[in-house]
This record gives sequence, structure tokens and C-alpha cells, in this order.
Amino acid sequence: MPERPIPGAAADLEPSSRPGVPMETAVQPLAGARVPITPQHSAVPVYKHAGRKQMPPVYGTAQPPKGLSGVMRKAAYGYPDHWARHWMMLLLADRVDVWEHRLRRSLPWGLPAVAALVVGGVTWRRLSRA
Amino acid sequence: MRALTYQGPYRVKVENKPDPRLEHPQDVILKVTRAAICGSDLHLLHGLVPDTRVGCTFGHEFTGEVVETGREVSQLKKGDRVVVPFNISCGTCFYCQRGLTGNCENSNPASDVASGVFGYSHTTGGFDGGQAEYVRVPFADVGPMKIPDDMDDESVLFLSDIFPTGYQGAEMGEIKGGETVVVFGAGPVGLFAMKSAWLMGAGRVIAVDHVPERLAFAAHFAKVETVNFKEVDDIVLYLKDMFEGRGPDVCIDAVGMEAEGSRTHRVLGLGLKMEAGAPTVLTWCINAVRKGGNVSIVGVYGPPWNFIPIGTAMNKGLTLRMNQCNVRRYMPHLLEHIRSGRVDAKAIISHRFSLEQAPEAYHLFAQKRDGCIKCVLAPHGHA
Repeated sequence: MPERPIPGAAADLEPSSRPGVPMETAVQPLAGARVPITPQHSAVPVYKHAGRKQMPPVYGTAQPPKGLSGVMRKAAYGYPDHWARHWMMLLLADRVDVWEHRLRRSLPWGLPAVAALVVGGVTWRRLSRA
Repeated sequence: MRALTYQGPYRVKVENKPDPRLEHPQDVILKVTRAAICGSDLHLLHGLVPDTRVGCTFGHEFTGEVVETGREVSQLKKGDRVVVPFNISCGTCFYCQRGLTGNCENSNPASDVASGVFGYSHTTGGFDGGQAEYVRVPFADVGPMKIPDDMDDESVLFLSDIFPTGYQGAEMGEIKGGETVVVFGAGPVGLFAMKSAWLMGAGRVIAVDHVPERLAFAAHFAKVETVNFKEVDDIVLYLKDMFEGRGPDVCIDAVGMEAEGSRTHRVLGLGLKMEAGAPTVLTWCINAVRKGGNVSIVGVYGPPWNFIPIGTAMNKGLTLRMNQCNVRRYMPHLLEHIRSGRVDAKAIISHRFSLEQAPEAYHLFAQKRDGCIKCVLAPHGHA
């Protein structure tokens, strides 16, 4: 063992000098905190899990749910978060979300390509019969 | 604005997205000056965190300059430079009033398992993160800490997460002086856990990892002994033998759900999703620590469950302590450790990138290439 491994070794030896001791402090609001907290309003759907009684006053509104993955997420949040199916449905919805985005991104070139293939196929079949 | 966005497992890109706006009177908007990539961001990148939506901007370790304030914000003004805790905490709920800001119940409707967190999926509240030019910061009078004028952003950047998390990891080990402490994971959190163990008076500190460059860096940065678990037959027996057959007094898990070392756990957790990732390191901690010892968990694990030897922990009389870090309460204390020179936090930065290079930074960090320890992005350039 090095005698003085780093500068300040044992500087926090006394547990009372450590900010997280005890882990639970005496009950008091933190500096700068403000009550009551004004509730946030959102124009987009934000889900809460079924084990929670009401929305918290503040939440994120990034990437609102949409499409099939949105429907799956809504269903998942119908279950409390201690149910495995809540998490498994969300993981599945994540994969669906990725495919929805890939499909959406490929529409500008994918649709014309599919249309061309269909028309080409029909034409080829008619010409072959003729 | 330009922002990093998630595109699906293993895929991120930088694209345009709408600027954040004030959504609550206690919000501020920050112009991000530095944003780090955290090891736990890799769990998002790899698609392991439920409800990670395409388009999500990652990043929960950042500093910035206030550019807009909500009407109820009184402690911050335009132009203030701040470092922001990764947890979003109201300061008034049952948990915040007891110092447990990492468990705030007023910022995350999606789950009771965590408070709101910046850029960490909708499971932690659906907030966009700081790997972008701008970011919305709720409860701005409670969380962010002003950066002293004589300190640069990079010196204090890691007060947002990894330094307090590492410190809390050592603190939960209940070191009283002279203990033997094994830290699993020589990544950024592990490095700060090692430093913190010395600050608390540990007698011996050992780093366990499998990346030689990281172990070499740990030996240099934290002055610890090192063990490469891939170079020993059985890491648990090896550690027990190091300490008279009993094992160390304290084991700290600074790895979490993507651990190497067990093919079984990687197949079950990362491949088949039958458990939330690979709890290999936690299993090692429980098996290696001495009877009556302490296991401290700061590595991230997801819901709903993991296969761990809880019976062994019970029979050995272990104390298991864990939590998301209550960052805000550690910031002033650890700032003094940095200011006094006891801990050179920014010495762990191995790579700096522009925001546009963020996808490259993610892949470099994930693959631990080029001696990568910690990547920092400068969304508005490296001033």
C-alpha cells in the first residue's frame, strides 16, 4: 500500500465530512425550491404508468408517441411499472418505432420503386402471354 | 438547432431539430458549452433501455450558458454559466426534502424507478439531453450550480454525474479507514470511485477490468493496484486469495448491465432479453466480498429483473447499498476537491469532438478504441 497514494488521501475519513452521510437528511426543502409547483401543460400526449395516480407537475414532451409504436406504448403504460409486460411491451414498441421510421424515410424512393416493379411485372406478364 | 439523435440500436446521427422552448415557469434554456458521453449512454445506444424513442437526444452530463429564463426563475440570469446534475429534481417532494434528489417524484410520470433524467429515454421522463446546441433545464433554481468565474467548464463538467456517482459509490461502501476496496470497472465512474475511496481513507484499492489501457490509466490516475480478469482463471477466487482467502471488505460495481466475463449472462440478458442485461459484475461482487462486507452498486441496471445470487448475499450477511446518485448535494464538496487540486477531474478526458463528430465519438467510446476513457463534445466549438 502506498503511504500517501493521492493528494488529500483520507481527507474525507470522518463520515460526517461526507455529503451523503446520512443518506437521508433532516426534512427540509432544497435551496431555491419553490412551492406550490405550477403544473406544466402539454399539447402532446404524455403517458404515465398505471401505478401512478396523477401526472407530476413537470415532465418531458420530446418525441410524442405516434403510429403503431405509439399505440403499443399507450397499451404498455396501461400497466404499472412493476409488471414485466409493461417493460416487454415498451421494448417491442421500440423496435417497431425503428422500423416505422425506416419505412417513413424510405417512402420517397420506396413507393416509386415498388410502383415501377408492379407496373413492370404486369407488363412483362402481358407481353409474355402475347 | 443541431442535435445528436437516436436512430435505432447502434445508430445515432446529428440532424436539425426544433430549438427547445420554455415549457414551465421554472425552466431555463441553456446554450450547451460542453457535453460528455457517459458509459450509461451506451446502454441507450445499444437499445437496452425501454422506451428509447427514435429522435431522442442523449446527454445527461453537460455545462452551459443561460440564454432564456422562465418567469419563476430567480437564482439564474441570462449569461450565467452552470453545470447541471443529471437528475431533474423539484427540491420539495418527499424524497428531495430528505436529500434523495435522485429519487424525485415530481419529474417523471413514466416510472417510479427513477427521477427525471436528461436525455435518458422516456422511462426517465422523456426529456431531451444536452448533446445538442441547446437544452431545456427544468427546476433551474434547484439543480444547476453556477460555475465559479475562475474555473473553466471542463474542470467542473464531471460534477454533473460521474464524479458524484463515483464518490457516492465509495461512500456507500461505508469506508471507515484502512479497508480493502475492489472497484470493478476502470471506466470514468470507476476511476472516480477509486479516487474517492482513497479520499475516505481506504487502505488498499484494486481496479478490476479487462481493457489493458484502462487499467494502465487507473494505475496512473488513481494510484491503484490492477487486475485484468481475463488474465486470471477465476476472478472471485483470485480476489479472495489476495485477502487471506476471505475477500475484500468492499466491492463497488461501476460497470452495470453490459459487463463482459460471463457468456451465460450475455446470452440471457443482452441476446435473449430474459434479464435486464448481464449482471456479471454484481455476481462477482457478491461472491468475492468478505462475509459481512459491503457491496455498493452504481452501475446501471434496467427493469424488470436480473439473475443474481441473492441467497449468497443473505447467507454471507452482506450489506448491499445502491442508488442513483443524489448529485446536487455532492457538487459543492467535490468542487472543493477539484479546486484544491486533490482531484484533477478533467485529466480523464481522452478525446474531444465537435457535435457533428458525435456519432464517431460514440463508436470510439463503445469499442474502447484508441485508449478512449472519456469523450467530450463542444456543440459550439472548443473555445
